[in-house]
Amino acid sequence: MGDRRRSRRLAAVLAVTALGFGTAACGAGSDSAGSGDPNTLEVWTRSNPDPAATYERVFAAFTKKTGIKIDYQPVINFDQQLQSRASTKDLPDVMINDTALMGSYQSQGLLKPIDPATITGGDQLTAKTWSSTVGVDGKHYGIPYSRQAQTLMIRTDWLKKLGLKTPTTWQEMLSVAKAFATRDPDGDGKADTYGMVVPGSAQNGYAAWWGASFLWQGGARIVEPDGKGTYKPTMDSSAAVTTVTWMKNNLFCGDNAVTQPGALTAVTSTATNFQDGNAGMYLTGPYNIATFDQTLGKDKYEVIPAPAGPASGDVLADGENIYFGARTGKTKQERALAAFLISPEGQKLAMTGKNQPVVRIPVNSTLDAAKVRDDARWSVVQKAYEDASQQFPNAPDFAPIKQDTADALNSIFTYCGGDVRSQLKELNETLAGDLKDQDLLK
Amino acid sequence: MTATVTPPAARRALTRRAVVPWLFLAPGLLLALVFKFWPMAKGVWLSFFDVRPFLGDKWIGLDNYTRVLTDHRFQDAIGHTLVLGIGQSVGAILLGFVLALLLEGQARSLKLLRTAVFLPAVTATAVVGELWRLMYYPTSDGLLNSGLHLLGLGPVQFLDNPNLALWSTMAMGIWIWAPYNMVIILAGLAGVDRSLYEAAAMDGVSLWQRLRYVTLPAIRPALMIVLTLATIRGLRVFTEVYVLTGGGPAGSTDVWMTRAYTLGFTRNDIGGASAASVVLLCVTLLLTVTINHLRKRGEAR
Repeated sequence: MGDRRRSRRLAAVLAVTALGFGTAACGAGSDSAGSGDPNTLEVWTRSNPDPAATYERVFAAFTKKTGIKIDYQPVINFDQQLQSRASTKDLPDVMINDTALMGSYQSQGLLKPIDPATITGGDQLTAKTWSSTVGVDGKHYGIPYSRQAQTLMIRTDWLKKLGLKTPTTWQEMLSVAKAFATRDPDGDGKADTYGMVVPGSAQNGYAAWWGASFLWQGGARIVEPDGKGTYKPTMDSSAAVTTVTWMKNNLFCGDNAVTQPGALTAVTSTATNFQDGNAGMYLTGPYNIATFDQTLGKDKYEVIPAPAGPASGDVLADGENIYFGARTGKTKQERALAAFLISPEGQKLAMTGKNQPVVRIPVNSTLDAAKVRDDARWSVVQKAYEDASQQFPNAPDFAPIKQDTADALNSIFTYCGGDVRSQLKELNETLAGDLKDQDLLK
Repeated sequence: MTATVTPPAARRALTRRAVVPWLFLAPGLLLALVFKFWPMAKGVWLSFFDVRPFLGDKWIGLDNYTRVLTDHRFQDAIGHTLVLGIGQSVGAILLGFVLALLLEGQARSLKLLRTAVFLPAVTATAVVGELWRLMYYPTSDGLLNSGLHLLGLGPVQFLDNPNLALWSTMAMGIWIWAPYNMVIILAGLAGVDRSLYEAAAMDGVSLWQRLRYVTLPAIRPALMIVLTLATIRGLRVFTEVYVLTGGGPAGSTDVWMTRAYTLGFTRNDIGGASAASVVLLCVTLLLTVTINHLRKRGEAR
């Protein structure tokens, strides 16, 4: 019996020791990964497994061509992971992530400045595209990689059935939405269809992301640069008041089924009414085209430019940039990778294949999205991006500004009895505070 | 065993006896230290800084705290947390108590029923949230609204009406937590001395008197545990709200933790989020200690 007790005690000691080693090994493992070999680049993208497969193909082609190896990490909770890597002062060499994050990363010192002239093939990007990676200090902090602009997805079979034309203005869009909601376009005799899908929740800033196109079309801006590196919040302008009032009265507080039920708590992943076949329009990004082709069917809907507002037909543009992690010491290899990624070859690889494409609209001006994909619908998106789109300002840390705008818009659309002018004035003061926190307030 | 051996051996045995339990506790303690206490301490530390992981954190003293506590959205969130926490706790305890009274017993059918009733408590909150979102669907396609439709009512905007969303969330919370409370109260009820009921019956007391003077005093310890757990849970409520409404519409269901989450992860203000969490920790600690104190005083009496 004594023996058994002793052996148990031994087992316990062993277990504790093993545990101790285990934790020590974890701690040591994370900061040495991939930073040793100068000819290996650690690359992060914010991707699910499907688009990650596309990236893997692109990187394999790069390694074959240049001999530079890629340690590729598709990370889903990108920003949390990046923060923890930042605290060890060892960043990934190259990151590919949203354009809207540049200001935030730059303000945290995570990025290396980039001179466009040092990137081979950089001259094949338009000046407009390059201008979207200029930071607060006038230097570039990213290399454009993929772009997209919002377009309107619309049920052509419903339009045909009701004898309607594709809408080109807000007013036409509104009457189409009302017809979709009330004239039973799916012919089942029930009032179970809705005009348009809106991801209107404030969560993750969705209300601002979706609403931005409407603001641009109504001639409003969220913040405006004064040309001297500082910004002014402009959500109290008369254009903003008129636009937001129009949205509130017609889309949220007007006839019931213009937007889908639950629009004000919907995020993109829960706003599935378009692909479920019970809503007729959806203003969204082109990455949905593949999904809708599968779930709804290519023959049932069309991709058209967003209906124009009183000021213009501009929509929100965004996309991904290539960022170089600060203080990584592999500048030459990083530049080689960036040059490959924006080259016609690299862009084409990322636009095609059986997995989800990671380049939507190519930044390389020698390429044509519709031709590369042999799909005319992409020319609508490319045209929207080139001729009628506005990005969120890229220099400031836009995350708090977007979140506050989303909070305010969601609140305005929820309380139909509220006074839009005073609510927007309050938002404007909040935005001024956000800019002041960044020392960017005019 | 050690009482009969000589003094030096006894001392050795004593030290050994003192060490061994700690060795067995070590894995658990180590895990708690690495994954609980260390992050907690780090969180408290970060709440005094403007957190910039790469450039180095900047000490700003109590700025995070003043900013968080003076933000009107945070103040609203505290109000919602209190309403939701108290409503949900009281509701779940009452319902749990009723369920326990109804389902107490040894019959086989009761066992089966108890298992069925307990299911919500073992289902992942995120799944339950998704389920309720479908039940609350604001057209007559939704389960609840289709019921109302049959009665000629509705549809009710359970989650999209800012005056209703918090109550809808509370109803779901009660549904989740009542069975959990039921189990603890059942355990308490099982310990009630049967002869007390018999004596009460002989005295001819009413049902209410029996509950008030026999059952409730007997299950007091169980109720205290339920109350403590419910208070803690009520204050740090997150998943239910995050899945169901994300804090909306118009922030009408925004609670302490969803606000802290937004602050930390969509506004990149880790320092502010830490400060918010520390305040929550202090309040929770205070409440737990108070309840414990009250319980001890009650026991002493």
